[in-house]
Amino acid sequence: MANDIARNLGHLPGEDAAEAIAGHIGRFWDPRMRTRLHEFVDAGVDGLDPLVVAAVKLLR
Amino acid sequence: MNNPSHSMATVYVPRDSAARSVGADEVAQALQHAADRGDFALHVVRNGSRGMLWLEPLVEVVTPQGRVGYGPVAPEDVEGLLAAGMLDGADHPLRLGLVDELPWLARQNRVTFARVGVTDPLSAEDYEAHGGLAGLRAALELAPADVVAEVTASGLRGRGGAGFPAGIKWKTVLDCADELKFVCCNADEGDSGTFADRMVMEGDPFMLIEGMTIAAHAVGASEGYLYIRSEYPDAVATMRRAIGIAREHGWLGTNILGSALDFDLHVRVGAGAYICGEETSMLESLEGKRGMVRAKPPIPAIEGLFGKPTVVNNVLTLATVPVVMAEGAKAYEHLGVERSRGTQVFQLGGNIAHGGIVETAFGITLRELIEEYGGGTHSGRPVRTAQVGGPLGAYLPESMFDLPMDYEAFAAAGAMVGHGGVVVFDDSVDMAAQARFAMEFCAEESCGKCTPCRVGAVRGVEVIDKIVAGTHRDENLALLEDLCDLMTEGSLCAMGGLTPLPVRSALTHFPDDFLGGRRLLDIQPVQATGPRTEGTA
Amino acid sequence: MTLLKEPDFGTPERPGPATVSVEVDGLAVTVPEGTSVMRAAAQAGVEIPKLCATDSLEAFGSCRLCVVEIDGRRGTPASCTTPCADGMRVSTQTPKVEKLRQGVMELYISDHPLDCLTCPANGDCELQDMAGVVGLRQVRYGYEGENHLDAEKDTSNPYFDFDPAKCIACSRCVRACGEVQGTFALTIEGRGFDSKVSPGAGETFMDSECVSCGACVQACPTSTLQERSVVELGMPTRSVVTTCAYCGVGCSFKAELRGDELVRMVPYKDGGANEGHSCVKGRFAFGYATHPDRQLKPMVRDRITDPWREVEWDEAIGTVARRMREIQDRHGSSAIGGITSSRCTNEEVYVVQKMVRAAFGNNNVDTCARVCHSPTGYGLKQTFGESAGTQDFRSVAEADVIMVIGANPTDGHPVFASRMKRRLREGAKLIVVDPRRIDLVRSPHIEARHHLQLRPSTNVAVVNAMAHVVVTEGLVDRSFVDARCEGFDEWAEFIARPENSPEAVEEITGVPAAELRAAARLYAEAPNGAIYYGLGVTEHSQGSTMVMGMANLAMACGNIGRDGVGVNPLRGQNNVQGSCDMGSFPHELPGYRHVSDDAVRTVFENLWGGTLLAEPGLRIPNMFDAAIDGTFRGLFVHGEDIAQSDPNLGHVTAALEAMELVVVQDLFLNETAKFAHVFLPGASFLEKDGTFTNAERRINRVRAVMKPKTGKHEWQIVSEIATAMGYEMSYDHPGQIMDEIASVTPTFTGVSFDLLDKLGSVQWPCNEEAPEGTPVMHVDEFVRGKGKFVVTSYVPTNERSTRRFPLVLTTGRILSQYNVGAQTRRTGNVAWHPEDVLELHPHDAEVRGINDGDMVTLASRVGQTTLRAELSDRMPTGVVYTTFHHPVTGANVVTTENSDWATNCPEYKVTAVQVALARPDRSSETEAAGNDLVTVVD
Repeated sequence: MANDIARNLGHLPGEDAAEAIAGHIGRFWDPRMRTRLHEFVDAGVDGLDPLVVAAVKLLR
Repeated sequence: MNNPSHSMATVYVPRDSAARSVGADEVAQALQHAADRGDFALHVVRNGSRGMLWLEPLVEVVTPQGRVGYGPVAPEDVEGLLAAGMLDGADHPLRLGLVDELPWLARQNRVTFARVGVTDPLSAEDYEAHGGLAGLRAALELAPADVVAEVTASGLRGRGGAGFPAGIKWKTVLDCADELKFVCCNADEGDSGTFADRMVMEGDPFMLIEGMTIAAHAVGASEGYLYIRSEYPDAVATMRRAIGIAREHGWLGTNILGSALDFDLHVRVGAGAYICGEETSMLESLEGKRGMVRAKPPIPAIEGLFGKPTVVNNVLTLATVPVVMAEGAKAYEHLGVERSRGTQVFQLGGNIAHGGIVETAFGITLRELIEEYGGGTHSGRPVRTAQVGGPLGAYLPESMFDLPMDYEAFAAAGAMVGHGGVVVFDDSVDMAAQARFAMEFCAEESCGKCTPCRVGAVRGVEVIDKIVAGTHRDENLALLEDLCDLMTEGSLCAMGGLTPLPVRSALTHFPDDFLGGRRLLDIQPVQATGPRTEGTA
Repeated sequence: MTLLKEPDFGTPERPGPATVSVEVDGLAVTVPEGTSVMRAAAQAGVEIPKLCATDSLEAFGSCRLCVVEIDGRRGTPASCTTPCADGMRVSTQTPKVEKLRQGVMELYISDHPLDCLTCPANGDCELQDMAGVVGLRQVRYGYEGENHLDAEKDTSNPYFDFDPAKCIACSRCVRACGEVQGTFALTIEGRGFDSKVSPGAGETFMDSECVSCGACVQACPTSTLQERSVVELGMPTRSVVTTCAYCGVGCSFKAELRGDELVRMVPYKDGGANEGHSCVKGRFAFGYATHPDRQLKPMVRDRITDPWREVEWDEAIGTVARRMREIQDRHGSSAIGGITSSRCTNEEVYVVQKMVRAAFGNNNVDTCARVCHSPTGYGLKQTFGESAGTQDFRSVAEADVIMVIGANPTDGHPVFASRMKRRLREGAKLIVVDPRRIDLVRSPHIEARHHLQLRPSTNVAVVNAMAHVVVTEGLVDRSFVDARCEGFDEWAEFIARPENSPEAVEEITGVPAAELRAAARLYAEAPNGAIYYGLGVTEHSQGSTMVMGMANLAMACGNIGRDGVGVNPLRGQNNVQGSCDMGSFPHELPGYRHVSDDAVRTVFENLWGGTLLAEPGLRIPNMFDAAIDGTFRGLFVHGEDIAQSDPNLGHVTAALEAMELVVVQDLFLNETAKFAHVFLPGASFLEKDGTFTNAERRINRVRAVMKPKTGKHEWQIVSEIATAMGYEMSYDHPGQIMDEIASVTPTFTGVSFDLLDKLGSVQWPCNEEAPEGTPVMHVDEFVRGKGKFVVTSYVPTNERSTRRFPLVLTTGRILSQYNVGAQTRRTGNVAWHPEDVLELHPHDAEVRGINDGDMVTLASRVGQTTLRAELSDRMPTGVVYTTFHHPVTGANVVTTENSDWATNCPEYKVTAVQVALARPDRSSETEAAGNDLVTVVD
């Protein structure tokens, strides 16, 4: 799901993309889901869009 | 016998469907065979009918003196005629004389029918040589509004039957702002005993095309539709061919005769409904819908075919326009009486000795038509009544035959000029049966939209039956009178609205016929006598 | 209490603005130019006798009863077809016209059965009325003449009878079927006295094109077309005006009753959404409310494998409260949640989300909009600032070009579709963007100028290409964009790139570039271009993106802020708009305000007491995921059958089975109830007082015609659950709930039951700036100030067809059944659609050896089901289509977990599938994907 968000907001220039993704996740995702996402990023799970990783950094 | 010293003779044999119905095609064939055999040098031209139907097939031979007529010619007569020297205009029992000098034609004022029977209907050259296109050429020199003014000044009124001034209708269409406008010709000629429209379409189709084209120029229309009843297949075929020829010659299509006018014309065929002669039903039919009458307003001139401003005129009206433009409005307006200007094309039929086309100025009396032109009845019995104006016209008793043919005079007398049909009946006619027939006809042809016509006509038949049978006669006569009022005042269109006209005329002028057990019992049957020359087949 | 009879002015209203003044029987009246004499008379209080005229139809001129005399004019013209002229003087009651009217009635009655006393229309028959009004005393023709009295009845339709013996050939039914409904199923066959009303070419009503909308029944002045319910029950005696509970059009009806027995539903002329029209569902399919399947008593069970136990309310409510709290004690406050219903009233929805937020203490509340129009909410909020459509339905009458994208209004929103069709018949042009050749593409007197038959999942590519044309061909409405919008330049630069051109996307979309260009130009160059869209836009992985793409296109062409334009979501459920408005989303409080907004939260905390969570809660698909994870264990499901309507049913049922407590509040024991531990019986719309909000943001009153059969109002049940959980909640009357909503929601501050009773209905925003509501939005400025252009890159869906699953399935709905069919399957409507079928193109069928009517297996990577095949060239090759109205088919077994990136709206419209002839031992089964498929397929 996060990758889908990244694909759709990835067109934004520079840091705006990561910010937009972070904003979206913050506004719409239940805390449990955000926690899972943090866990994925921390565990270095394969296949996560780099923008997602950047967004998660902003969320912390 | 050979006449090798003679050059090719031109022989006219009509192609008109009335003539064909009594053997004209076979006569033409016989002549053609003779030519093919090499016995005679002749070529056959299929012309329109001269409108002397008791003389059909009427064969005309071109001679230095003029066209000599022979008729009625049967196929088996051909050999003898040729042998007798017909090609030189020689004597023969069937010889009629110079056609143009025949009293029937000579007394008429053939304005609209000038070329019918004279020319080859599908020859563009023949048409132009006889004054064709003069009207269109004159019109194209004028601005549309001026063409409309000319038509208005001529006093030309709708010849379909309504008698509405054509120029006023055209002006309404011209004044509409729409870019898309139509000219529609109502060729549904459904009145029994009428055939003038048919004869124009079969005998001088280019004239109708020219008239519609002038109308298009006058009102700003670009498309025209010719609605022909399905019962006229020859007219349909002839008009289609004529339109094709007209297009080839640049008389239809884009930049007509080199002008800025674009106009094209299409034939549409009806499907057996008298009501589609009513203009709004016709428009519905042209739109592919059921032929139901539309309420007015809006009038077709403003919201007609597909909702666009539309001229709807009868064949004769449009066919007269070229001569009005060519000769000028005054010439046409000069003829006629009171507010009935110009000529009317009368169609004599029914139980009549000499039936056919009589075109003459308004003002002629009914008696003149029936007795002097028509020669009385075919049966030889006395004329009892004539129905003028079609099946919805009044039956006039012989005592009223001195009425002049004039829209207003007839209306004042409780009758109708209509499309000019005159159907003659002798003294064996049962006028109660005729009144019943009027209701029956209405019931058969009613579109069914409005109650007075849809239900009233059916009840009308039943009430008349009761009257004739003597069941509560007085009450039913009063009921019939009320029903006639209701249909006259309450119907949506003239179908129901005029049905009471013949019914009331029968009640008024022939009340005794409704007393039941009509004089039929008193009438001695009479055998039709005389040779074929005295009547049509 | 009486039967409400609306006045009938005889002919339709004319718009003016010019007026003319006339005198009718000495009474002066001024009317808009073009008004008929009949209508002017009615307005002056003079009712001219009439039979073929009715004000929902154009004048016809058939009966000839309405004849009048006019000073200065000859004869007796019909007042219905005569327009008023300034200064006209009309006499409606002269001896002449009175006699004519009697004559007309005499003719009618001479061909009519004389069984008034036993006729179903006794007391409600215009023919009867007119005979009385004109003073008919005799029928001098007698009754032995030619007549139609032995014409045969047609009882083929389940809801109404056609008795031609009583027909007066006024053609009102034929005209209604054409002018009002736009189906043109009826005609008059024959002519003259033989004229008879005929559905199609001598077929019965059921076999013809008739869609059973009831317009003809309503229009018929006699008993010729009569509701079967009236035939069987008799005439109703009182009316209650209420709102239909089926789709998002929200038709107003008069429920006509005897006592508390509902006899029939008659469309209400003053209904803002429908103006006197209806469809088969609202008009006739109300029998489900009294169906024996109604579960009227609460039930509980410990395990879903146990049988149900009927209990009293106290026990049921107590069980819910106790077990919910227990779950929270063990697993945390966020371990429970609720799903509000988009079919229940605003008041009921508000109370449920209040229970979740205030009593449960979390934001785990969501609604079915999740699976249909949530992208609309997101997309329009981003671009315009408001999560709702921009126009009212009437607006379509001003449109010059109508673009229908991913919607099938003649099936899904039939009463609105009739309005649209009327405008199209008047000459507006139509563009349809849909993989299927929906009926609208070519129907009586209507033909789409362009049908862009795109491949499913390529919506964004198509809308971008259209916008590309607009920007690169200089068709942008610069004055609008400059004054009213922001972000245009970046967006324009993006959209003008070659990869967004019609030529570049032709390959993937399947739409010929020239056709796309022509359609784009047509929309852009129209004085008024309107977009109408449905789930074919939203139920995609880029649903939200597409909504924004359409908004971009509309803004670029200046098509916002007046009648005849707009971006119009055709919302499906009767109250899905309301449900969203009421704060059913996990991230928004009522009025679409984010839960993290401190100021808003404070307002609600003050109103409700306690503290509210500032973090967004779980959406429905997330609830299922969390349930399988074990962190979400209690669910309150209100009026939604997620076990039939949500996608990827295997996943849904697994989630439900994983939960400890599933509470279902509904009318019937549905698929979801199979997994429930507590069943709380709900009330049908006939038993409710409250409001629904339709797709036009129109708040309509729902009025109870009978007391709740269950003994409790639904808002009462929920309030009692909350109270039992320790949060006091009670109301005396639903009007109070609306008052509470109005007190804290800026777009609703003016709304109250009193206002609605006065005005009939009102479109929000309804507040001080707009005390009577807001038909058209964003008139002077957008709700967010300036409209925002958002870059919308086309991102192909993950769901690709493969060798194993080479076809694409798209799903939808049809006219006679409604969604999961819970209601409509329990009415006579089963006559039309007894089973779901799979539509596929003859080519696709042929290569698989499938004939029309064969049973086939439909399989995707998540599941398979069996259903009947119907060959149709409405589908392009490669695409198949089915509906989801029958649980036995369970079409959603095959739909996947793919969803819109922004809202998780499921991608119902794109599922890679394979279709094969079913093996003989299968019939209507659903299964999770297994090895079976591999062996069946090539």
